[in-house]
Amino acid sequence: MTTSRRAIHRDRLRVGCSAAAGALMLTLYAPGSVLADSVDGVFPTAEEVGGEVFPEGLKVGDAFPTDWEIYDDHGKKTDVGKLIKGKRTVLAFFISAVPVSVQELKKLEKVHNGSSKTQLLFVNTDLVGAGLLGGNRVDETARTVRVIQREEKLNNRMFVAPNDALDPAGLSNKLGFRGLPTVYVVDADGRVENVYVGPQNWSDTNI
Amino acid sequence: MSISRRDLMKGAMAAGVAGAASGFGMKAAQAAVHDATGERQHDLFKQFKGNVVLLPGKYSGAVSAMDLSVPETLAWYSFGLAGIDMPIPHHIAALPSADPYKGFDFYQTMQPPAAPYVNENSPEWRDRGAFKMFKMRYDGSGQQNKISIVSDVSEATGMALGVHVSIGVGPNANKYVAYADGQKDMVLITDISDDPKIVKAFRCDYDPVARQVNISHIFPDQATGKFDFIDRKGMKTSHEAMLGEELMPADPTAVFVDAFTWHPELPLGAILIRRLGCCAIVDTNTWEVLAMLSTGKGAPDNFPLVKQQGYTWTFSIPSVLTPLHEAGFITSGEYFLACNNVLQNNIAVYRSEDPNPLKWKKETFVEGFGRKYLPLHMGNVPDSRWVFFTIWARKPHNGYICKVDPKTWKVVAKWDTGPDPHTCDCTVDGQFITTVYSGHQAGQSGMVVIHADSNEIVARLPNPGGMHDHVVVPESWEGLKSSRSTSV
Repeated sequence: MTTSRRAIHRDRLRVGCSAAAGALMLTLYAPGSVLADSVDGVFPTAEEVGGEVFPEGLKVGDAFPTDWEIYDDHGKKTDVGKLIKGKRTVLAFFISAVPVSVQELKKLEKVHNGSSKTQLLFVNTDLVGAGLLGGNRVDETARTVRVIQREEKLNNRMFVAPNDALDPAGLSNKLGFRGLPTVYVVDADGRVENVYVGPQNWSDTNI
Repeated sequence: MSISRRDLMKGAMAAGVAGAASGFGMKAAQAAVHDATGERQHDLFKQFKGNVVLLPGKYSGAVSAMDLSVPETLAWYSFGLAGIDMPIPHHIAALPSADPYKGFDFYQTMQPPAAPYVNENSPEWRDRGAFKMFKMRYDGSGQQNKISIVSDVSEATGMALGVHVSIGVGPNANKYVAYADGQKDMVLITDISDDPKIVKAFRCDYDPVARQVNISHIFPDQATGKFDFIDRKGMKTSHEAMLGEELMPADPTAVFVDAFTWHPELPLGAILIRRLGCCAIVDTNTWEVLAMLSTGKGAPDNFPLVKQQGYTWTFSIPSVLTPLHEAGFITSGEYFLACNNVLQNNIAVYRSEDPNPLKWKKETFVEGFGRKYLPLHMGNVPDSRWVFFTIWARKPHNGYICKVDPKTWKVVAKWDTGPDPHTCDCTVDGQFITTVYSGHQAGQSGMVVIHADSNEIVARLPNPGGMHDHVVVPESWEGLKSSRSTSV
């Protein structure tokens, strides 16, 4: 599947969505009376997560948001803004639960081939589960990321980004992606240069 | 005075012999069915005579058959005996039996233990468990009841699917059983023989850029006659999406197929597609895809077919206003009901009597669930006088069961039965609703019996297995219409 988002025009149903969900909201809740996330049991409305299940997402030319949490592969908190500042960056979002997204990392690394002009960063976009066994989820996810790095023989830096898909401010809602891998090329000025959803023939791209 | 142990035993034996001679209590060991007459709780439970309930224990790894009228476990089977490390017996459906105490067959699906409860991709967990489907048999004809595996349907077909299983009724009675899985987005239809034969298989894939879904027939290898989707092969995501995870990042093609439900009167069935809030309606004579219902409020009644090329039907899905979970037919077949949830929490009500599903229209919605409570499963009664729904909630909320009047489509009763409620079913006489709750695989769990008309909670039974599903063995093919067939 070759799936750059750039050239696609979509016919939307936003009016119907807004009317239905808005009426429901007015009937049941005062606006702003509840906040959705995965902690208090409230689920979001379509409006809160980009209008529907599959939001539009970041587009070419958008400023790439940097106000989200990120940890290195040993669970140490770091800063996205500092990581990408002044450098053309390929940010490959994957998740250990999605085999096709993990398989894409090696392909990316091969085409990147250690380029000094562009840095390639791999970001695991969720935390692994610990509900039954306990443990620190960031540390457990970092451990899994290190396993992937070792088994896939990856050389580029890998990170962990917690994501709460039910929180309107969660990473996947903030960036607007639902399918992984999603790869953003961000220019040195912090603007989105391109977006790729799903596996690609990377030799046809300019990363 | 002291009494020696020998004297005590002599006395006990004498009392036992006298008791046996006078006819109370002493029965052969391993009697097939316990007679609870004379026991204090018999007056309560005797009204459930004829109801055998199958209970798969999701994290306990076993399936058990319970005589609700005693109540006692008649037999149980641990899937560890089948060589599976950390088996997760998931969903279940039973073929009808006129005398379930003597015997019946049932189908059990199984998935790996991967879940957001554990680090599923750690080296310690990632290879545990298996996707499987088994045809099972309960035999109560001898001195010891037993449950055994009749066939490993996944090995027989080469396709292993781990979520809902449902059995054909009406025009499809005594013919087919359907399996589905949202980690592979596949549906398999086989016959119901002990040596299962592949009838048809479907695969669903989303194209997130074109915003289309492709529903394709897939075919087994001609040389082997089997698919190549054993265990984890074909898996898009390493755990089944929990409720709300329709929004989580997943494989770009993932749509989370959940079940296939059967129309009770027409040769039609529905493939339930959680992430797209859609149901593909299939002709069960030709297995062609006839329509793609879009069940959300504010969405059209169905999405248009873009093209059919060979055995692939491509539908345009321009926007998904909400995911859904289960959807199925009321026992009469008059309505098709879809549990929309996460972004919209309502139940879409389609009239579904027309043989052409393109003519099915959403007539109304059952509403009022708010933002914490998600319509999840549905349960039927034989005469369609009520429809029951499981309304699930995340921690710290329990969720509840509700009763809907199909004349008004209003909620007329609610029960907070316990945390993490799952499926509803009904007793063979249609008088009682059974429902299980599983305590999020670790906490409070049990089964509740509700009087369908008086709304009284009649009984509550403990379940140590974190029951995620259950089924009452139907007494006939007609009775199966209100069991794991038309709805899940």
